[in-house]
Amino acid sequence: MSDTSNMIEIRNLHKNYGDIEVIKGVDLSVKQGEVVVILGPSGSGKSTVLRCINRLEEITSGSIVVDGYDLYAKETDINYVRSEAGMVFQQFNLFPHLSVLQNITIGLIKVRKMDKAEADKIALSLLDKVGLPDKAAAYPDQLSGGQKQRVAIARSLAMNPKVILFDEPTSALDPELVGEVLDVMKNLADEGMTMVVVTHEMGFAREVADRVIFIADGVIQEEEAPDEFFSNPKNPRLKDFLGKL
Amino acid sequence: MAFQFKPEVMVDTLPLLAEGLELTIYITLLGLAFGFIIGTVAGLGRLSQNRINRSLAGIYIEIIRGTPMIVQALFLYFGVPLVSGVRIDPITAGVITIAVNSGAYIAEIVRGAVQSIDAGQFEAGRSIGLTHNQTMLSIIWPQAFRRMIPPLGNQFIISLKDTSLLTVIGVAELTRSGQEIVAVNFRSFEVYLTVAIVYLCMTLSIAKGLRWYEKKLMARSRR
Repeated sequence: MSDTSNMIEIRNLHKNYGDIEVIKGVDLSVKQGEVVVILGPSGSGKSTVLRCINRLEEITSGSIVVDGYDLYAKETDINYVRSEAGMVFQQFNLFPHLSVLQNITIGLIKVRKMDKAEADKIALSLLDKVGLPDKAAAYPDQLSGGQKQRVAIARSLAMNPKVILFDEPTSALDPELVGEVLDVMKNLADEGMTMVVVTHEMGFAREVADRVIFIADGVIQEEEAPDEFFSNPKNPRLKDFLGKL
Repeated sequence: MAFQFKPEVMVDTLPLLAEGLELTIYITLLGLAFGFIIGTVAGLGRLSQNRINRSLAGIYIEIIRGTPMIVQALFLYFGVPLVSGVRIDPITAGVITIAVNSGAYIAEIVRGAVQSIDAGQFEAGRSIGLTHNQTMLSIIWPQAFRRMIPPLGNQFIISLKDTSLLTVIGVAELTRSGQEIVAVNFRSFEVYLTVAIVYLCMTLSIAKGLRWYEKKLMARSRR
């Protein structure tokens, strides 16, 4: 049945909004350390699949297992599993009333029950890692979009997650700020972080992904290593999609 | 016999209003403190996942908003004791009336402010593993509270003025004090003008105080 070496195991996922079925049976497994990029036209359900992996959506049927925990089982402590799976949002969703440092430490202090000094130390080293060592005291509205997204990545890294889910992390950024965020993500991939990335950045998919998945009409249409995916697309929907870029 | 304006009556009236003024301030502050607690509970009740909580809060809000405060005060002071057998003094009845009445409006202020916070904030809180309550308390509430300040200030001013309706149950607050002075000296023009100016001084101070507090909060968040 389910392979335990998989970090994420999605089986026959269905999701309806009212009468409209948006996910029509998705099966997907992600191995530890793997970087999976999900592509697809808007409205295809790719973000919904990602949000289900953090249980930000209720599912209609199927199962999702993250690091051995069945997300939608009653006995699963969803708060624990969520703290193990980081999420980076298109709109950053930094907490505007908290400083950059507090944005990163709040999870450590409230969820991991760490004392403040220790949490601050971790936060500062993460800010260093995302290239913002001097922004600890700043507030989110003083940052550029790219800086905000890097803080958001640091915030999810603080929980030391086993996997990070990226929901179109660069789609709300000015073009000249996209690079700085992708660089941080590339570094994470190089360090062996398990990542699922919904994006429109083909360059990133080509360069960083271990596997590229094309979702359209609520199902996975194609699933390949990036070379094959881009140079030899088989699915007609995918050919059409790549042709439009 | 033309009317003759006597400003000295106003000067004489002012000290006689002191006790009534004190009572007005006391009832307003105490009533609003409880009103804020009731309003927070009812406002969050409106947003609850639980249908029973939601409808209980909804019924409370609709009944209170849909009936005049003066009727609520009369009902509480004259009506309820007939059933409960316990008489309450007018001041307590006044505080309860202000609390219950303002609570309904504050509930809507709370609900609106919480709903105005982007859903992404809640999701971000949950995604780092905060529980529902932790997210509400440390992420949503501080942001929502900031947005509540202008409408809360508005409610503060409304409730302050509404205490004048408590004259109907015999609370000796500011307006009632004015009426009592008029009953003696028949100088309605000067006395009620004085009363009005005292109310105006209070409401203007509240408005000014709130603007200052709002600015302070802004400065703290932006630095």
